[in-house]
Amino acid sequence: MRRLLAVTVKEVRQIRRDPFSLLMLIVLPAFMLVLYGFALNFDVRHVRLAVQDRDRTAASRDLMGAFVHSTYFDLVATPEPGADLPALIERRRARAVLVIPEGFGEGLAAGRTEPVQLLVDGADSTTAATVLGYARALVAEANAELVASTLARRGRRPAVPIAFEPRVLFNPELESTQFLVPGLIGFLLMLTAVLSTALSVVREKERGTMEQLRMAPLRTHELILGKTVPYLGLSLLATLIILVAARLLFGVEIRGPYLDLLVVVLLYLFGALGFGLLISTIAHTQALAFQAGLITSMLPAILLSGFIFQIRMMPAWLQGITYLVPARYFLVILRGIILKGEGLATYWTQVLALALYGFIVVALASTRLARREA
Amino acid sequence: MTDNLAVELRELSKHFGAFKAVDRVSLTVEEGEIFGFLGANGAGKSTTIRMLCGLLRPTSGSARVMGIDVAMEPEEVKRRIGYMSQRFSLYEDLTVAQNLRFFGGVYGLRGAEAREREAWALHMSGLEGKEGRLTGELPGGWKQRLALACAVLHRPRVVFLDEPTSGVDPISRRRFWRLIDEMATEGITVFVTTHYLDEAEHCHRLALIHAGRLVALGTVSELKRVFAGRVVLEVLAPRVSEALEALGAAPWVLETSVFGTRIHVVVHDAEEGRREIEALLAAQGNGPTSVERIVPSLEDVFIHHVEEAEAGAREARR
Amino acid sequence: MRVLWRVMVKEFLQIRRDRRMIPVIFVAPVVQIAVFGFAVNTDVTDVPTVLVDQDRSAASRDLLRRFVRSGYFELVGVEERASEVDRWLVTGRAQLGLVIGPGFGAALASGRRAALQVIADGSDAASVNIALGYAGALVRGLGADIQLERLRAAGGLARPGQVELEPRVFYNPDLKSRWFYVPAVLAMVLMVMTMLLSAMGVVREKEIGTMEQLIVTPIRPWQLIVGKLAPFGAIGVIQVFLVTAVTVFGFSVPLRGSFPLLLGLTVLFLLNTLGLGLLVSTLVETQQQAMMAAVFTAMVPMIYLSGLIFPIENMPRVIQLVTYAVPLRYYAEIIRGVFLRGSAIDVLWPEALMLLGMGLFLLAVAALRFRKRLD
Repeated sequence: MRRLLAVTVKEVRQIRRDPFSLLMLIVLPAFMLVLYGFALNFDVRHVRLAVQDRDRTAASRDLMGAFVHSTYFDLVATPEPGADLPALIERRRARAVLVIPEGFGEGLAAGRTEPVQLLVDGADSTTAATVLGYARALVAEANAELVASTLARRGRRPAVPIAFEPRVLFNPELESTQFLVPGLIGFLLMLTAVLSTALSVVREKERGTMEQLRMAPLRTHELILGKTVPYLGLSLLATLIILVAARLLFGVEIRGPYLDLLVVVLLYLFGALGFGLLISTIAHTQALAFQAGLITSMLPAILLSGFIFQIRMMPAWLQGITYLVPARYFLVILRGIILKGEGLATYWTQVLALALYGFIVVALASTRLARREA
Repeated sequence: MTDNLAVELRELSKHFGAFKAVDRVSLTVEEGEIFGFLGANGAGKSTTIRMLCGLLRPTSGSARVMGIDVAMEPEEVKRRIGYMSQRFSLYEDLTVAQNLRFFGGVYGLRGAEAREREAWALHMSGLEGKEGRLTGELPGGWKQRLALACAVLHRPRVVFLDEPTSGVDPISRRRFWRLIDEMATEGITVFVTTHYLDEAEHCHRLALIHAGRLVALGTVSELKRVFAGRVVLEVLAPRVSEALEALGAAPWVLETSVFGTRIHVVVHDAEEGRREIEALLAAQGNGPTSVERIVPSLEDVFIHHVEEAEAGAREARR
Repeated sequence: MRVLWRVMVKEFLQIRRDRRMIPVIFVAPVVQIAVFGFAVNTDVTDVPTVLVDQDRSAASRDLLRRFVRSGYFELVGVEERASEVDRWLVTGRAQLGLVIGPGFGAALASGRRAALQVIADGSDAASVNIALGYAGALVRGLGADIQLERLRAAGGLARPGQVELEPRVFYNPDLKSRWFYVPAVLAMVLMVMTMLLSAMGVVREKEIGTMEQLIVTPIRPWQLIVGKLAPFGAIGVIQVFLVTAVTVFGFSVPLRGSFPLLLGLTVLFLLNTLGLGLLVSTLVETQQQAMMAAVFTAMVPMIYLSGLIFPIENMPRVIQLVTYAVPLRYYAEIIRGVFLRGSAIDVLWPEALMLLGMGLFLLAVAALRFRKRLD
């Protein structure tokens, strides 16, 4: 026990002497949280719209008004007929151009279906899809108006036949932060845990102090625990900071039991720290440990965990790979606890997967470390 | 007078915050001298050399190398000197030939001259036929010679060597110093730091550095003259620490120091000293097995000066 | 000039000797873009939906058919009661629940309002937003059809005029999100590689001590800097070839602009990444610090503030101003412009100019910081 404490204390002292890395590990989460909360989202507003009105009737002006006065679009140009419209898009003056043809108002009055063109910059396909969605909704509303007014003239009630009542659970305001915070925690925990353990062991190897440690009557599990416990503490601290900041800045509340949250975080860290140790037994230089750690843990934690991109949209072979990414399971559980107010029991399959991952990784690392002793 | 001086230091100092790494050192080195800079680790040797090479800026004082002020025109200095750093700093992942070609090129050698110097360097370091070997795979002694060769490819008139033989076996060390002698005969000034006292005997003149200050300066014989009028006796006794304590307390003993199991005692007179020592130790039941007069070594000189300096510092603090 | 050449030769020899470098230079970028390219996909289709149909009328079946046929929704389960839907959403087996009440068809037939409930899992805000948008459009479409039917039934006079939207999407008619993301990944991969290589390359010499030997020679700072960075720039250019090939042939993203133009503008971008790497190297002492500093203070913020993933227009004004200082922002525009819009220099000259200016500025700052001294 005393030996374990000695190793732990040494590790803590070394961490304290490297304020730079410490700063990085604290600054990054804070920065990303703020960024995500305030700046990063997919909601599209103020789309630059140009409108070419070739008709100039009350009807065309009504339609134009519907677009321009919505919060989605900002009017940036009203090109004359004969203007080079594709150039507007290519030169990025406008993201979308609405073209109302001659005879629009007349056709509507006569009960015909009049086409209007919407030219959209598809280079940014995400925004383009959203823009199309807005446009379709606006046109649908305009159409509903037309039908309603006709019905009204006939003395009929202009009722909308189907009441569309969406009920959004867990995140009624559809704020991206609620969604992104669990993913952020998963990513950051993976990063701190893997990088710090991998680098700390490899650093000792590079400096030669590892040999010195080996000479001491230190048992493998004491070495492992002593080295990982400080980083466990750091990671938990980072998680706490994120959760508190998310609560204060963005109102993200933890709806499920705190204990379950702690348990799943510890389970996840168990696996992440073990993975870091595993990397440290394979890499001999810090440069290699860092890159290997980055590629095998951080990137999957961002891309293949369901953090931003949905797993079910990926090709089958890639989905198969995601089964090996612990962050995938962690995110499901974490979102369940934080957003949906569930407990661990609901997600027992994921919990099992995390535990299995942790055990395998730690076992592998231990055998590799112990083998060096013999 | 100044024109012949290869190196000139005037009250040169380097402070790192409150720590005085080099404290008002003044000395001169003539052309063609092998000048030794002696001191324990951390005494300020490397810091001084780095200032002279333009790698560190002096905090105060000045230094000139071949008449050029190192603080004002460091780049001019660099063109004219050779430097070998304490750590081996050639590229281990390049071959011998590639390292030579690189440094030759960087120093502006080209064409026939470059080839000639490279051939010379290979010959001088004994690496002929081994041009294709990876530098990292060479044994320690070869590496040092190669590093020296790279440092003098461009025929500098002044060469600065920072602990060039640390970690190298004695035979290689001797070979290395033979190279230094050869350079000196060609008129090249060699400014070398070392903590090997046997190497220091090799130098024309020495400077002793302790805690950043110059504590002694002169030729080897001049330095040993500090023992003029005094005698060094070497004492072997069964119980060393007891004997050391007793002798150190005796008023007629000027200095004591211990080397392994041998105690060096400095007294005024050889015969009288021997009698006193034998008497004192016999009274302890620690009868010495031998008391011999020896020629004071550079080590004795060095320890004498260091202890004097430390005593002086203690006085100053009171 | 000869000195510069010597330095470049040395760098090249060292790179060639380092066995580990070959996979890093050639394999890693290709693997990265391949994996990312397949992973990044924000198209919203086949949203898993659970159905509760308590009506089972022709009307409800018609509604269901519209939902399923659209391709946006995939039916993964059927339940009897609305309360069962929560279970599906909580466990994540479905993202949407469609609840059609028992009087749905009857209400429609008698000209009353029918209620349709859609329960959504709000945790994935972005895609659920889009999915709800689709659902709403489908419902509105059905509603409009029903209204027209009623009008006709009421004694087919004046049909109301209707507006039909004819979208024409330029550059990416099928709105494949891959065409948007894969070129972005190309830019990111390039940036990361060159920046890390340049930062670590300089710091490594500091760490192992050869830098000291180098700065004691008469070598001039610009010779050292250009000599060290140029090989990494060359590597970057090689990587452009590789990742462009993967993008075009692996993911079928069209390259409508000129490849030489892409190369030229990439070189301008590389000025920035190499300059940043060099700047980082002048600020740190060890390779580990170099890596951390490069990744955390430069790369991650740049990726998020470049508009590659999150549109800049959605950001608060203050942050939008900050993005003007991010080189990747301009390169992102260039990448999209050249690949998808087929833009030429007459459109991209502002970005090119900014990259040139910023790149030279960064290199100058780094060079000034680069002192031939140890303190």
